[in-house]
Amino acid sequence: MARKFTGRKVGIVGASATPFKGKWYEKTYYELGQMATREATKDAAISIKDVDAVAYAIYNDIFERSAIPEHPLQGIIGMANKPGIRVTNGGSTGLYTIAAAHAFVSAGIHDVMLVLGVEKATDCFDFSSMSATPEVIKTIGWSGDCWFEQKLGWSASDSYAEVILAYMDEHPGDLKPEVTAQISSQLSKQVRTNPYAQRQFDQVTPEEVMNSRYIVYPFKELEICVYTEGAAALIIAEEKTAKAIAKNSGKPVVWITGIGESNEWAYAGKNQNHWGRIYSHHVAAMKAYEMAGIKDPLREIDVVELHDAFIQQLEVSMAEMNFVPLGRADDLVEDGIMMPGGKVSVNPSGGLIYCGHAVGASNIMSAWSTRNEIINKGLRRGLVHGTGSTICQYGAVTILEHD
Amino acid sequence: MALEVPYANMVRLQSWSMIKNRRLIMAEKKEKVIPDEYIPEVGSRVVTLEGKDYLLQNDAMFTFYDRAAGEFSSFFLGLKDEKKILGCKCTKCGLVRVPPMLTHCPDCDFAPTELLEVGQVGRMLSTPPITYFATSMFLHQAPFGRGRVVLEGADTALSILCYTTTGILVPGVITKDTEVKVIFKDERVGAVTDIFCVPTSELAPGQIAKKGLQESELNWAAPKEPKFPKATDEDVAVYKQCFKEMQALAAEMSESKRARKAIEGWKRDIAVKTRAGEFAMYINDGDFGIKEKKLESPDFIMACEDLRTLLDGLRYKGAITDSVIMKKLWISKNMEFTTIFKLDRLARFLAREKKEQAAK
Repeated sequence: MARKFTGRKVGIVGASATPFKGKWYEKTYYELGQMATREATKDAAISIKDVDAVAYAIYNDIFERSAIPEHPLQGIIGMANKPGIRVTNGGSTGLYTIAAAHAFVSAGIHDVMLVLGVEKATDCFDFSSMSATPEVIKTIGWSGDCWFEQKLGWSASDSYAEVILAYMDEHPGDLKPEVTAQISSQLSKQVRTNPYAQRQFDQVTPEEVMNSRYIVYPFKELEICVYTEGAAALIIAEEKTAKAIAKNSGKPVVWITGIGESNEWAYAGKNQNHWGRIYSHHVAAMKAYEMAGIKDPLREIDVVELHDAFIQQLEVSMAEMNFVPLGRADDLVEDGIMMPGGKVSVNPSGGLIYCGHAVGASNIMSAWSTRNEIINKGLRRGLVHGTGSTICQYGAVTILEHD
Repeated sequence: MALEVPYANMVRLQSWSMIKNRRLIMAEKKEKVIPDEYIPEVGSRVVTLEGKDYLLQNDAMFTFYDRAAGEFSSFFLGLKDEKKILGCKCTKCGLVRVPPMLTHCPDCDFAPTELLEVGQVGRMLSTPPITYFATSMFLHQAPFGRGRVVLEGADTALSILCYTTTGILVPGVITKDTEVKVIFKDERVGAVTDIFCVPTSELAPGQIAKKGLQESELNWAAPKEPKFPKATDEDVAVYKQCFKEMQALAAEMSESKRARKAIEGWKRDIAVKTRAGEFAMYINDGDFGIKEKKLESPDFIMACEDLRTLLDGLRYKGAITDSVIMKKLWISKNMEFTTIFKLDRLARFLAREKKEQAAK
């Protein structure tokens, strides 16, 4: 059903990201949250007192070791006695939080809002193998279906691998290992200019990607996002306020012109999840395009910050969002679409694979990067993408545009 | 009030008898909800960064459950007690969902569904992924496949563990449309892990037809250490050269701050057997060593015909994990995949340290 957007125009007037690190020994998530807030208000050249409300993007209670992890932050970030809402939607938590804040501002409930994403993932530690990663994976494992799947050893990797293998069953010639290796290598080059990235200096060759070990077949170590600790924040405002803030800060408003989300069935089979596709990403993109008036994303979008949990999923997500046809996602490389000089820049931040995946903060970091690209390179339009939950069940897309 | 007292007493009595039964069950089954080896001791440590100390505390966040299986009780009790698999059929559209995750069909304005038994043979909806790097909770079952099977009589797919009776599950053994049989574990607790599947091509017709086929009725291949042919002079020369290079690499790894992190807190004595010789590999909390020695009681054995396979892995030219998966390297205990991952990380961390130093 076609929908007409009738709300107030909303734009981003400030943004920040903390350094994304494998482990922050020096800071708790309280300090990371405040750090991102401080930087975002500084970027917008406003006082925190000018902000009406906050929306928190924090994915997993177990990571923060509190079932209401946002509550200590309220006072610490200078938002005492103001509204605060927490959103949690798996990997797409960040974009859903932006959408929630956008709804509040666009509806006229608030004029200026802070969107704050933070996650401290690698405090989790597996004492039997003396490393953090298995415990982080285990912690995310608690996100799976608690009756029929968790106990089987459900993990984010095996869940996304299921979706990718089902796609490969339908399109056996696509997602060639040589192509996924080239994409990973390309992202590792792009991260070089992102000083906030966890792996800024970890440039890899396609050969190294091909030679890296399997984590879950068909995913190899250098094709998978890394778990990170960090925070990111946006300040959003309604049109009149946004323009006033922009005039004062000297930074143009980047408008939020399209928003779309979709959550699919969590189970597969007839009449349930669209097996062999990532349909949630397709629906989310179509909704966002409709709102933003986009007909041909490849011509009309200059930069994409995509939630690349896995390289193969990056490719399928690009196909689902109509940048390339389904079954020909390898065109992204083979036709040079996302390679240097190509039609669209994908993950200039290095994405979640090289910048890092601080879950609740990840999509907000992606929005921060997209805004930077739009402002600094004078681009017209960018797309921010998020995915989450089991079998890529959740999809979220936000369109950002130059003033 | 008079009526409520006996009722309350009854509930109390029932609870007591339940608790007593549970105590009995716990006494018979010594397995704990959280095995002891996963639980750290109370303690803390300090990490010093740029001259400043930061505290790390051993901690846990845990909750125990007396979890009601509610409307799923019939499904789980069916697995446990009767070795049968239940689905639910919509009384309006007729769609059969397995597992029976709902009582009313959302596609038919919530028309009621009815439970029914479905078959124990089915086809894979798609190619299942194989997990090699499992979390501590699932190490005992790795590597494992988890796929979705559409059983005979069902329309939707049941998530299920996939194994082969022939050894380690490798890509290609189970793919989309592979016909599989549901196997019941000998000891069942009323959980989805009471069952798994194997390809019907590995079973006899009688086994395929049998309802409630159990794991002990299968012919599982036992792990067997590979035997290598006698080494030629050339093999011995290659081995000696590789051994020398491996020793130098091990020294480099032990000196690298980053590489040491890959094997921090880990201790293993490994016997490495090849066509041209046998030696010992030691991992000891950051130290990595290679010695010409035959270990009498190693933690586990690695066997590879050509030592170059292992050396390449340690040089970060191809993953050691892949060598195990592709059967170029044999390990005596599947659980030791964890150590193999650590060796891969050791190689990667050293390579990364060198690269980052060069980049900076």
